[in-house]
Amino acid sequence: MKYLSLIALFALLFFAACQDDDDPVQTGDIATTIQFRAEYDDTDLAIQSATYAYPTGAELKATLFQYYVSDLTLIAADSSEVELSEIELIRYDDATADNIEERTYDVPAGDYIGLRFGLGVKPELNALDPNNFAADDPLNENEFWNSTARYVFAKIEANADLENDGTFDTGLSYHMGSDALYSIVTFTGSFTLDGDNDPQLIVTSDVLKALSDGMDTFDIADPEKQRVHGGNQAVATEIWERLAGQFELLIQ
Amino acid sequence: MSSSSVFVVRRILYNSWCFALVLCVASCQPSPPVTQLIPEPEKFAKIIYPPDNPTTREGLALGKRLFYDPILSADSTISCSTCHLPELAFTDGRKVSKGIGGRTGKRNSPGLVNIGYLHKTLFWDGRADDLESQALHPVADPNEMGGDWPLLISKLRRHPDYMPAFRRAFGLSDDRELSPDHVGKALAQFQRSLISSDSKYDKVERGEAVYTETERLGHAIFFDLADEPDPEFHGLPTGECAHCHIPPHFTNQKFFNNGLDEADSLEDFKDIGRALVTGSVYDNGTFRTPGLRNVALTAPYMHDGRFENLYDVVAHYNSGGHYAENRNANIFELGLSNDQAEALVAFLHTLTDSSFVNNPDYRQ
Ligand code: HEC
Ligand code: HEC
Repeated sequence: MKYLSLIALFALLFFAACQDDDDPVQTGDIATTIQFRAEYDDTDLAIQSATYAYPTGAELKATLFQYYVSDLTLIAADSSEVELSEIELIRYDDATADNIEERTYDVPAGDYIGLRFGLGVKPELNALDPNNFAADDPLNENEFWNSTARYVFAKIEANADLENDGTFDTGLSYHMGSDALYSIVTFTGSFTLDGDNDPQLIVTSDVLKALSDGMDTFDIADPEKQRVHGGNQAVATEIWERLAGQFELLIQ
Repeated sequence: MSSSSVFVVRRILYNSWCFALVLCVASCQPSPPVTQLIPEPEKFAKIIYPPDNPTTREGLALGKRLFYDPILSADSTISCSTCHLPELAFTDGRKVSKGIGGRTGKRNSPGLVNIGYLHKTLFWDGRADDLESQALHPVADPNEMGGDWPLLISKLRRHPDYMPAFRRAFGLSDDRELSPDHVGKALAQFQRSLISSDSKYDKVERGEAVYTETERLGHAIFFDLADEPDPEFHGLPTGECAHCHIPPHFTNQKFFNNGLDEADSLEDFKDIGRALVTGSVYDNGTFRTPGLRNVALTAPYMHDGRFENLYDVVAHYNSGGHYAENRNANIFELGLSNDQAEALVAFLHTLTDSSFVNNPDYRQ
């Protein structure tokens, strides 16, 4: 009896070891999670709870950061493409949540060399009214502005203390989007998905980098530049361009 | 009689008894409820029905009857309709509602227009997830119907009309199966049928009507048309209303502080609203954006009914409201003239749908 259990133990150890070593490389679909991380000046974005320094000397409390992602796609080593999702809304508006939004997709095992998405709602979808989609679809998240301005592609909202008097009494509200602003964001970087030690894919975006690139800083003290909604997109073009240009992909 | 012939007779008797039993069981088994399709306007994304509570003819009729019946309250004086009157778009006209024994509640009774489309949360603070579970709250609330579920269920079980109606609506074969969930489900079915899409606003959207000059100006303020490339409204103040009160239901179902109370510290709010559910101080003083359909009929306004009329509401927004660190960034001084404020009120009146409030299907 004693020997029997010893043998059982060995068998178990043996199996456990095998499991680890040559966990058969998967060939089917691999559940792959992409993290969307939001930051402010390279620190984790905290909605409402953190006070952020703005380059002009003002202070900010962020209340909302969000953007649509269209045609999230992985590019395979043979340059074929795997579309993960047609549309996602990545939104940070909850003071009790962290700065990570995750989406998980089934992805064919294989070697990949890049990731690509459209920032905003792609023109084909932007042409469709929300009633074409299920009530719980990302395109029914009440981000449809009106029949001409269409969906709001990205939003940054914050309350600012411009006078450094401890009151965050200047609202900043940048709502951006139009077919003309739709931008493709592409990353290159090699990784393999085979179910064994798959890398974590992390797409980061930084609210401050959308507002300021170190050289040029959006002038939030100018009353004409405290809100951009619907039709007056021209004011926000520079925010949009910086936003589209600052995404990073980390493969960890 | 030989023993074998006795056996045959017994056998026949037995068989026919079985047959009778089968017949009886089949006929005693309630016939399944008939699915009831509730037509929905094309402009609305479809209602998300819970898979375990499709609307049926029997469930809908039962839900409507329960909604208007004071049997749901402890002393049979208060029905859902006491605080949700169809002629007031299912509100009660009071600052805060009055329940059993004249007890006053803490909050203003919200309308139930298009309530089936609010699939995220219910109540001013979002404490219920769906209509099925929402209905369980008022029955047991000591300031509303003051009831006790076990007592109510035994009352309904003994009721000569309700028990058969529950059996039919939910295919119950044993009265002991009746539970609060069935009451919630029936009430939810009725409330999901309360659909409004025939206000002047809707008609203008469909090209069947035109706004008056004043309504048109108010519409332009509500939807920030001053920002549009079309120069017609350039220079007009933007009302910023549609960030939160977004069509077609005029709510984005999210929680905000719209500047009702001055709060130097986030701890200063009298009713902390959403924070009662989330426990987060940053949600103190935030409430779910109410839908504005039929808003001209649902005075007084806000979670505590503080504003008597729509002029007071618009004056509030025009002032930018009071400071709190979490006041939403889209609430600021608007600079509306008196005429512009009037125009905004006129637009809010175009959200009234008299065919909804007078719909006999929604009445007792
Ligand atoms: C005493 C008055 C009263 C009675 C009786 C009452 N309600 Fe209400 N109802 C209210 C108030 C007040 C609220 C808002 C409470 C809150 O949000 O904290 C409310 C909220 C609701 C909501 C949520 C609406 C929304 O926009 O989220 C629904 C649905 C509802 N009631 C249905 C019912 C039903 C069904 C019944 C009967 C079972 C009922 N009510 C009985 C006063 C009442
Ligand atoms: C930041 C989001 C936001 C904006 C912008 C906004 N509202 Fe509201 N509105 C709310 C919230 C939240 C409430 C409920 C607040 C409460 O009771 O504490 C509300 C309540 C109301 C009510 C009362 C409805 C009722 O049933 O009691 C009316 C009317 C209203 N708003 C009209 C407007 C108009 C008109 C505008 C534009 C001038 C506007 N709102 C702008 C969020 C907003």
